[in-house]
Amino acid sequence: MVGGRLKYGQQEIVGFVLIVVLVVVGLMIFLVISLKDSPVNEDSVVVSNVIDAIMRHTTECAIVYEPDYDNFEDLFKSCYLGDRCKNLGMSACDYLNESLSDVLSAMMASDASVGFYELDFFVGEGDGLLRISNGNCSGSVSAAQRKIISGSDGLFIRIKICGI
Amino acid sequence: MVKGQMKIQQMAVMIVAVFFFFILVGLFFLGIVFKDVKGGAGQLQKEQAISSLRVIADMSELNYDSSWSMSLDEDKLRIMSGNFGGAYDLFWPVASVEVFKVYPRFDEVEECPGVGCNYYGIYDNGQGGVKTYSTYVAICEKVRESGSTYDDCEVGKLVVGVKQPLAAGGRG
Repeated sequence: MVGGRLKYGQQEIVGFVLIVVLVVVGLMIFLVISLKDSPVNEDSVVVSNVIDAIMRHTTECAIVYEPDYDNFEDLFKSCYLGDRCKNLGMSACDYLNESLSDVLSAMMASDASVGFYELDFFVGEGDGLLRISNGNCSGSVSAAQRKIISGSDGLFIRIKICGI
Repeated sequence: MVKGQMKIQQMAVMIVAVFFFFILVGLFFLGIVFKDVKGGAGQLQKEQAISSLRVIADMSELNYDSSWSMSLDEDKLRIMSGNFGGAYDLFWPVASVEVFKVYPRFDEVEECPGVGCNYYGIYDNGQGGVKTYSTYVAICEKVRESGSTYDDCEVGKLVVGVKQPLAAGGRG
C-alpha cells in the first residue's frame, strides 16, 4: 500500500520534471535563435553618409601632377588600375590602405556608440582588393554599399558598422 | 472525506503553481520579443532624424555645391559662425547647429576662426535639454595652389540639436 503511493508520487514528480525540462529546452532554443539572428540593416542612412563623406575627402596623393589630388573615390579607381602616387612615390593601393585606415579610425573614434567597423573594397563578384576592420561587434549591425564605375568595371565599397 | 479534500487541495496548489510558472515563462518571452521591437523603433527614429539632417546640410546657406549632397562650404561656415550668423536666428528650424572637423583628429575643441581650428558654432538658441543628432559630412573649400584651383574636402560632423516639445499647458 505504502509502496504503491510512493510509486504514484514518484510518477507525478517525474511528469513534472519532464514538463520543466521541456519548457527549459524550448526556452534555450528560443534564446539561441533570438540572440543569433541580429538583423543587419543593409541600407543604413548613417553608414551611407559615412561613405559619402569618405568618398569626397581629398587625399595627398596626386597621380598625374600636383595639385591634382585624388579624393578617396578617385583613389579607389587609381588603386584598381594599379597607379602610383607620383608626389609620394608609393603605390595608390598602399597609400589607400594607410590613409583610409587613419581616416576611418578617426571617424569611428569620434562616435562612442561604434564598437566595430569593417570596410570592404571589391570588384564584381566579391573579388576582394582591400579590407580594413577594427574592434569587436556586440550590438546591432548597420551597413551600406556604394558602387563606383571605373571604365567598364564596377567597384564596390561596403562599410559595416556595429554598435556597442 | 478528509483524504479526498487533501487530494483536491494538492491538485489546486499544483495547478496554481504550474499556472504561475507558465505566466513567468510567457512574460520572459514577451520581454525578449518587445525588447527587439523597442530597439527597432529607436533605431528607426534615429535613422529618420539623421535623414532630416540632409535638409539642413543641403540648405544653400551651408551647402558647397548643389550637385553634392551632404557637403558643407567652409567659407560659408566661417561667415555663418561669425557675427553675420546672428541675422539668421529666426531662420533655423532647430535648437542648435554645430560643425566639427573629424579628420585630422584633435584632442581639444578649437573654435573657428583660428589656426588649426576644428569647430564652427553656427547657431544656438540657448535652449537646455535638447536632443542632438549627428551625421558625417564633407567640409569643402576651393584652394589655389601652383596656379590651379581644386576642391579640398575634409571629413566633418554636422551636429543638430532638436527642439523639445513644450510641456502640456506651457506657453506657446
